Amino acid sequence: MAKHFAAAPGAGIRTGTTVLAAEVRKGLANQLAHPLGHIVTLAISVMMYLGLQYVMGQGDMRDDLLPATLIAIGAYWFLQYSGQVMVADLIEEKRSGTFAAALMSPAPPWVAMCGRLVTATVFALPIAVLASLVPALAVGIEIPWRWSALVPYLLLAANILAFTFLMAAIAIRNPMTGALHSLLTSLVLMLNGAFMPLALYPEWMAAAARLLPTTLAIEAINLVLFEGGSLASVWSGGTLPLLIAHTAVLAALGAWLFRRNRRLAIAEGRVGQY
Amino acid sequence: MPAPAIAITDLTKRYGDSGPLAVDGVSLTVEPGSVIGFLGPNGAGKTTTIKILAGLLSATSGTASLGGFDVVRQRASAMAQFGAVLEGSRNVYWTLSSWQNLIYFGRLKGLRRSAAAARAERLLTDLGLWERRHEKVGGFSRGMQQKVAIAAALIADPAIILLDEPTLGLDVAATRTVKDLIRALARDEGKTILLTTHQLDVVEELCDRVAVIREGRFVTDLPTGTLLSQFRKHDHYEIRVEARTEPVVLPDGFTAARGDEDTVITGQVQDGDDLYALIESLRGQGLPLRSLAQIQPNLEAVFLSLVEEPARG
Repeated sequence: MAKHFAAAPGAGIRTGTTVLAAEVRKGLANQLAHPLGHIVTLAISVMMYLGLQYVMGQGDMRDDLLPATLIAIGAYWFLQYSGQVMVADLIEEKRSGTFAAALMSPAPPWVAMCGRLVTATVFALPIAVLASLVPALAVGIEIPWRWSALVPYLLLAANILAFTFLMAAIAIRNPMTGALHSLLTSLVLMLNGAFMPLALYPEWMAAAARLLPTTLAIEAINLVLFEGGSLASVWSGGTLPLLIAHTAVLAALGAWLFRRNRRLAIAEGRVGQY
Repeated sequence: MPAPAIAITDLTKRYGDSGPLAVDGVSLTVEPGSVIGFLGPNGAGKTTTIKILAGLLSATSGTASLGGFDVVRQRASAMAQFGAVLEGSRNVYWTLSSWQNLIYFGRLKGLRRSAAAARAERLLTDLGLWERRHEKVGGFSRGMQQKVAIAAALIADPAIILLDEPTLGLDVAATRTVKDLIRALARDEGKTILLTTHQLDVVEELCDRVAVIREGRFVTDLPTGTLLSQFRKHDHYEIRVEARTEPVVLPDGFTAARGDEDTVITGQVQDGDDLYALIESLRGQGLPLRSLAQIQPNLEAVFLSLVEEPARG
């Protein structure tokens, strides 16, 4: 007769890491199931960016605008693809029913979410780099490097992932989150500096843009890379504290909504499927 | 004494603050190694109960445990006890191959990769899917997809298996495959199986015990044989005689249905004398007797009589 087993002491951490690794592997396999779609998207992204810059430069590629806008478009693609892994896939899985199957694991429910977050990073980062690298090589855009820029770059990644996590937490109960996410990422594309640097926007629009993910981080990166600012000056200028606060608020809101929406979804019977 | 494989005590579930009770004070104990058919009409509370057991839904009150572990307070241990195939749900990833699915679900239950791979190989071989293990599940037939879903539920070799409508939408051949698989799991591997289905012949064939739920409450919970015998009508008979065009004269309470070859007469007799008198009467009318049988109810008839009784107040 089949026997029952309790979870062994210490099995929690091992199971957690096993589930995390499985989630990442599955997520990547899922994304790579249709590679042609990603190749087409990447090609379109390169053409879209270069076309956009050609229009903004009124028939010319403006060397003064290209480096900053390239960083912004890279950030946009990181945001876009993180959302595809975390939000669009989660909604699709809840609609199809696989999300419920994945929840019947001994690991705590947040482990699977962390796995999705890692997958989003592992998958979206190379795509963002490629989406930046190809136009950079195509038209010879040079982006200077300073080690102090690493801090705002890391904060950019944290900011994007915090926003994506927040969207995924909302998606646990609301299937319309996909539309909200698309709307917000479109706004990011228009306002984060991918068209033109934020300094060229009207003040009120720049202020609104700073509420969106990526904008403050791109501003911080630009200050360090293109205006020679030190981290101390970016901090004292208020951009870094605002960026950290923005990221912390997104992360805290995401964590709170994840707990709340999961609890409510379990009570409503919608944790696995809408 | 081992803990019950499945134990539900005074389980209640109300959706929303003022919604109806989907499950209303249900209690159930399933011993290890038994196969229980969990039946009821649509909306009776079957899937709600299974979702509570699977940790996908919180109960309003009461407790549920798997292998002696409370599904809420000892979630990690409880989740390690079972595999499940949920109703109306894809259960496995169509963009992945059956091999990738099984490895993923094995790892999800905490198996090491080598253990998951060994088990996946055995399951895919047993289910006749080994040769196609690297094909995407989305390209499989419905029956094959369901086989993969069942294999995913079995990947960690759980002691308890929750099957919610596992044969729904399957053709005859695929249903037969799933039935054979369930039978093997129960008889050869001693698994505890909770099975819900509307295919009552499957339940009658495979289940040791049947629990019928209606409007969130159990209306019966008995061994299958006992349930059928309770509904056996010892005084109801079916008599087949040669078909004739002339009307058959019958006692009150009997009906005759004429077929191509036989006329089938059914009805209730008071005692053996009545039965002999009826046979004599038929012989007197020149109707040769073809067969005589006591009417045995099947589970479908029992189920219908249970769920169609007037609701309790």
